[in-house]
Amino acid sequence: MKSFLKGLIDIKNWKKRTKTTWVIVLIIIAACIVLSFLKPSEADMKSMASKEMQEMIKADEGSSRKRVTITYNSLIIVNYCSFSTSGAKEITERYVGFVGRAFQADKGFGKFAGQMVNYTYRMLGCGENILHGAKLTLFLTTASTLIGVILGTLLALGKISKNKILSKACSAYIFFFRGTPLMIQLFVIYYTLPAVFGYAWRDLFNAADNQAVYKGAFIAALIAYGLNSGAYCAEIVRAAIQSIEKGQHEAAKALGLSYSQTMRLIIIPQSVRRMVPPICNEFIMMLKDASLVFAISLMDITTISKNIMTSEISYIVFLPALVIYLIITAFFTWIFNAIEKKFSLYE
Amino acid sequence: MDNYEYILETEHVSKNFGNLVVLKDINLKVKKGEVICIIGPSGAGKSTYLRSLNQLEKISSGKIFIKGDLFLHREKDRTVERIDKKTQQQLLLEMGMCFQRFNLFPHKTVLENICLAPVQVKHEDKETVKKEAMELLKKVGLAEKADEFPNRLSGGQQQRVAIARALAMKPEIMLFDEPTSALDPELVGDVLQVMKDLANEGMTMLVVTHEMGFAKEVADRVLFMADGIIAEEGSPDKIFNNPENPRTQSFLKSILNV
Repeated sequence: MKSFLKGLIDIKNWKKRTKTTWVIVLIIIAACIVLSFLKPSEADMKSMASKEMQEMIKADEGSSRKRVTITYNSLIIVNYCSFSTSGAKEITERYVGFVGRAFQADKGFGKFAGQMVNYTYRMLGCGENILHGAKLTLFLTTASTLIGVILGTLLALGKISKNKILSKACSAYIFFFRGTPLMIQLFVIYYTLPAVFGYAWRDLFNAADNQAVYKGAFIAALIAYGLNSGAYCAEIVRAAIQSIEKGQHEAAKALGLSYSQTMRLIIIPQSVRRMVPPICNEFIMMLKDASLVFAISLMDITTISKNIMTSEISYIVFLPALVIYLIITAFFTWIFNAIEKKFSLYE
Repeated sequence: MDNYEYILETEHVSKNFGNLVVLKDINLKVKKGEVICIIGPSGAGKSTYLRSLNQLEKISSGKIFIKGDLFLHREKDRTVERIDKKTQQQLLLEMGMCFQRFNLFPHKTVLENICLAPVQVKHEDKETVKKEAMELLKKVGLAEKADEFPNRLSGGQQQRVAIARALAMKPEIMLFDEPTSALDPELVGDVLQVMKDLANEGMTMLVVTHEMGFAKEVADRVLFMADGIIAEEGSPDKIFNNPENPRTQSFLKSILNV
């Protein structure tokens, strides 16, 4: 345990650890590639159904009303196929394909694994548009944090500026967005503003677009999250800027650099490294806050898992949701660590 | 531009923070090429005076002339004569400054530190500036450190880079604010040597320092400041060997006895 802690602190060993991490990651990727080639094909999976089911599928081919619903999901190394009938006789058959074989998955561990694959597939939003599942969460979080960082930098510069009106205005903005719940801000932007000004978010898009409602809601969410994140980032940026020694300002001034040059060339580049850890934190908070979009019916991981829970009465659906969130968080923590390391070269 | 008697002139420069008087009616005339050392106990206002010359501190009242041109005129904490921004900037750039804590830009390499201001402020050609910067680095003996980041250098090396950075703007006056106070004793020599070379080349220098040896050897004039006024001024010989003011006497006694 002691040596493990030492290894964390010791940078020389850390380099070795990164190498090891990389090797492990590459091995996992290679294994995934191999396994993805070995997994049974879609046709194989669809031909797994029992004789009774096959007959019904055949009978369906002629008629317009289908009795059998076939669900096929593929998740890189595993795939899942289920056949279910509706009507007088309800039968469900499930199969999981893995390493060249299809396993029956109607009970026990097989059923559990099948459900996991199915739910994960649906929450990731595979094969569907960006307003779906994990993609929505990722896109919303990344875009709104980006907006937040840019807006936050401007707000921070405004707040520390000598112009009193500007400074007060920026402080008021920050106070407002940090002092009210994000969900209410989301509601105000999605419901209240359109009601007051007489427009609808879906109007931004072509009326023929059947996704217009969702796209409109997404824009509203992006604005709400961006504005909110801006307020939090502003405080982060301000703290980072003000933590730079006064001597840096003086040296720049003595060399004749203007205020904006000093900020742009000297102060902000130095404060970036100090901003990275709290911005990473803010990003991860955002990622989790993004689950609030269920309140305006956007189909993110949380909404989908809630829907699956109510429609299929399956409570294990929250486990893959947790795992997906964790994987996304871990990935971004790693990226932010790398950025932080890059900027710490000179300190 | 060269029709001036004094390269730097301050008239009745005063500064107070509320009721606390930091500088009281300081008059100084500096000829081109003069080296002036400012000594005195801490809290005497030496650094404040030096820093108010290039506007790092705002004076409460007084006039500052650079190369015969009015640079700043304030009365009762207000600027009374507005000077054209461009002229003021030009005059400001006639002064280079070195700080006690070096204040190099830690995110830029040594070479970038030196090239930054000439390129950004004077809009000079990058390649020319780079060449000149390398020459300046050679002059301060650090040519091989051009691509290092400041934190890899010793304090003495950092201060020499800071001097090169200030010189890159081709100032006519150099202000040194206790340039060796933050250095380990064995590193002081190199920095002082660079400053001596600079003085020998005819640079006008104002140096706030505790290095009495340097003041004795290099200064043309020594100012002894105490309680916000210039208590005594004169040649190094006069100040160090025959001080008249009792404050100067007791200060030198306490310093030389250490």
